[in-house]
Amino acid sequence: MSDFKFKIPKHLEVPMGAVIPAPVKENPGMITGNWRTERPVIDHEACTLCLNCFIFCPDACWHLDEKTEKMMWNARYCKGCMICVNECPADCLTPQNELDFPKGVVRLDKPF
Amino acid sequence: MAKEVFYSGCAAAAYGAKFSRVEVISSYPIRPYTGIMMELSKLVANGDLDAEFVHGEGEHAQVSIAYGASAAGARAYTGSSGVGVTYAMECYSPAAGGRLPCQMAIADRALDPPGDFGSEHTDVMSARDQGWIMGWAETPQEVFDNTIMYYRIGEDPRVMLPQFCCQDGYFVSHIPGKVILPDQKAVDEYLPPYNNPHPLDPTRPVSHGPQIFPDQGPAIDLQRAQAFLDTPKVIAEAVKDFNKQFGRKYSPFVEEYMTDDADIAFFIMGGHARTARFAVNHLRKKGVKAGMVKLRFVRPWPTEAVAEALSKFKAVGTIETSTSYGGAMRGGNLIHEVRASLYDLPKRPAVTSFMAGLGGEVVTLNEFYEMAKILTEAAKSGKVKKGVYWLGFEPD
Amino acid sequence: MANPVKTQNLEHIKGIRKVPQEEYYVPGHRTCQGCGPALVYKLVSKATGPNSIFLGPTGCMYVANTSYLCSPWAYPWMHTQITNGGAVASGIEAAYQVLIRKGKYKGELPNIVVMAGDGGSIDIGLQAMSGMLYRGHDALFIMYDNESYANTGIQTSPATPYGANTTFTPPGKKIPEGKVLFPKDPPQMVIGSHPAVHYVATASVAYPVDLINKVRKALNYKGPAFLHLHAPCPKGWLFDAKKTVEIAKLAIQTGMWVNYEWEKGEYTYQHTPKEYKPVKEYMKLQKRFDHLTDAHIAKMQAFIDAKLKAPGKPIAVPVQGPREMA
Repeated sequence: MSDFKFKIPKHLEVPMGAVIPAPVKENPGMITGNWRTERPVIDHEACTLCLNCFIFCPDACWHLDEKTEKMMWNARYCKGCMICVNECPADCLTPQNELDFPKGVVRLDKPF
Repeated sequence: MAKEVFYSGCAAAAYGAKFSRVEVISSYPIRPYTGIMMELSKLVANGDLDAEFVHGEGEHAQVSIAYGASAAGARAYTGSSGVGVTYAMECYSPAAGGRLPCQMAIADRALDPPGDFGSEHTDVMSARDQGWIMGWAETPQEVFDNTIMYYRIGEDPRVMLPQFCCQDGYFVSHIPGKVILPDQKAVDEYLPPYNNPHPLDPTRPVSHGPQIFPDQGPAIDLQRAQAFLDTPKVIAEAVKDFNKQFGRKYSPFVEEYMTDDADIAFFIMGGHARTARFAVNHLRKKGVKAGMVKLRFVRPWPTEAVAEALSKFKAVGTIETSTSYGGAMRGGNLIHEVRASLYDLPKRPAVTSFMAGLGGEVVTLNEFYEMAKILTEAAKSGKVKKGVYWLGFEPD
Repeated sequence: MANPVKTQNLEHIKGIRKVPQEEYYVPGHRTCQGCGPALVYKLVSKATGPNSIFLGPTGCMYVANTSYLCSPWAYPWMHTQITNGGAVASGIEAAYQVLIRKGKYKGELPNIVVMAGDGGSIDIGLQAMSGMLYRGHDALFIMYDNESYANTGIQTSPATPYGANTTFTPPGKKIPEGKVLFPKDPPQMVIGSHPAVHYVATASVAYPVDLINKVRKALNYKGPAFLHLHAPCPKGWLFDAKKTVEIAKLAIQTGMWVNYEWEKGEYTYQHTPKEYKPVKEYMKLQKRFDHLTDAHIAKMQAFIDAKLKAPGKPIAVPVQGPREMA
């Protein structure tokens, strides 16, 4: 019977049984905003708050801000699939190239 | 009050589970272990055991149900035999890697083809590298006791590993023997309720088993390897406490019989040890200094205890009730680990192996005498002629 | 099983406005752009709420969601083998039954949900799924159907439609149509032989509120339920990521997918078009069908026509006769 203990380097540690805490509001372990080549840009004037973008986004990147009554977009996680643009009945969403934005993800040395 | 009963190994396992207060049981029929589930289903049907009895749709499901229940925080019990054990193979590593300490009762059976009801250890020996605690019982009493002890060991926070609680099919599972049933209160004192530190519970959500980076693979393997390094200490404690609580005399890892002045020894596990004891008695009468060493745990393999027990002999024969086709010794499994355990000793016995008790064949006294003859010769010459003898099939 | 412990009544939602803003399948997962199954996961999670335990048999929704050592599920989640989602769920449900009965768990029985792909449901996972549904566990089995083994690189499954080009059914000179077999009918497999099941439904990401309500209805039933959810896969079916919902809608308009409920033996149909469009309109948007000839497409049309007219499955709108191939 030994008291021998292996040494596992910090960065390779895995919790016992690979059980990890659940995320709360977002999963910072997989930030996907830097996948994007285009982003959906909203025209709040034209938006009818139909909530199609909110309901159809696979990445849960659109939410209604109850206070401002405006749709809020999540730049950290939007992958740029453009389902929201395709499903918008008011035509208030347009895809725009990330290169058009001074802080577009493609311009960042370290996106997020 | 403790009471004495006359139980088969199957009934003993079932009552071991009952006294362990198992909460989820998953069944599927296959001989010979079926008797365990038949007994438990009666206990549940009569209200003598408050547990969910789930009819799995196969052994694969049985183990899945058991480790699922264990993940949710319930003490889970299942079992199987033969091809049933190998059918469930996929599920052993998730249970062990997830550190879910459910228990699986095994009553060994030869694998197909062709169909053979007989006992043979190859079924569950094939799963010995999946990260489960594993050992054999010799008598129904030991089956009963091991069932309770294994839960105590497996559920220890330093261990958290599932367990194969094994007995030989028919030789142990179907031959009744004396079993002392303890007080439930005494068992409750010995075996605390199962506590999963991270159960699947919506009030404290966790994720079980996400993908890992490939370079984290060795680390998670190592974690299990470390658990197996830590387990012997827990086994020693659990066996010591068990002996104290219930007045038994188990050695934790290997039991020695008539070994003090022995020149040759049988290294054996499971039900055939009973015959080996008689063989040793008879051999002693004939003036042969024979002894027996019985292995209680295959996983974790008690390397030091095996080395210590066997180093004093001149020759050792392992009784192989399982096959390792094409293995280093061309016979069974035990000899590989026995020889490895002895390799670093300055002085080691000659070691050979005997293929006996395959397919449910009885290992007879005569066969033990024949083994003794071969071992005596090896003891004299200091070396073995070959690493394996298939008893009854050797050319003259 | 024996004791009823779930007393919840998840609310029926009328319109998108009533859909909870809270996310339990949170942003941050490695699923593809426009992933149909991810959208299914999001909607199902909104329906169940946090008092839930999800089981994830191996598949895209395991691998892509948990790479690496992180997860997007705010409720408890556990990986299962692709083979045993139903069995692990059974064990968890049985554990909760006994723990609640013994007073060891104080809360209500959680919603236990298996989120299996088509392989984990009706191919390698069929036995465990059927076992769970047969035994009457109070758990929900969801088959998110992206019509292939997508995680491993789009191989054919029993849910892959006839004629699809997959990496195991490439069209060639000898086998021009790619996949030659027609798919299984999952809800009918369940309805046909699982007396413990009282509720089976199909739903699609094209109609998210309907999908949410069906999940809630399934969970409000005591005992097992089965949902078959259509989840278009841009990568596997080879269409532009933005068209996931559009494709799902077209599937319904062409009869390639039918939304219905089966409740205690009664069928009701939803979103049935006044007239079905030719299947070609659905197929032509997906490159997996690009290689098919008119004869192949006619074969597909005949299969769908027969399915829509199948006995025991009355539909609200009569199917038109054989249609002209555009």
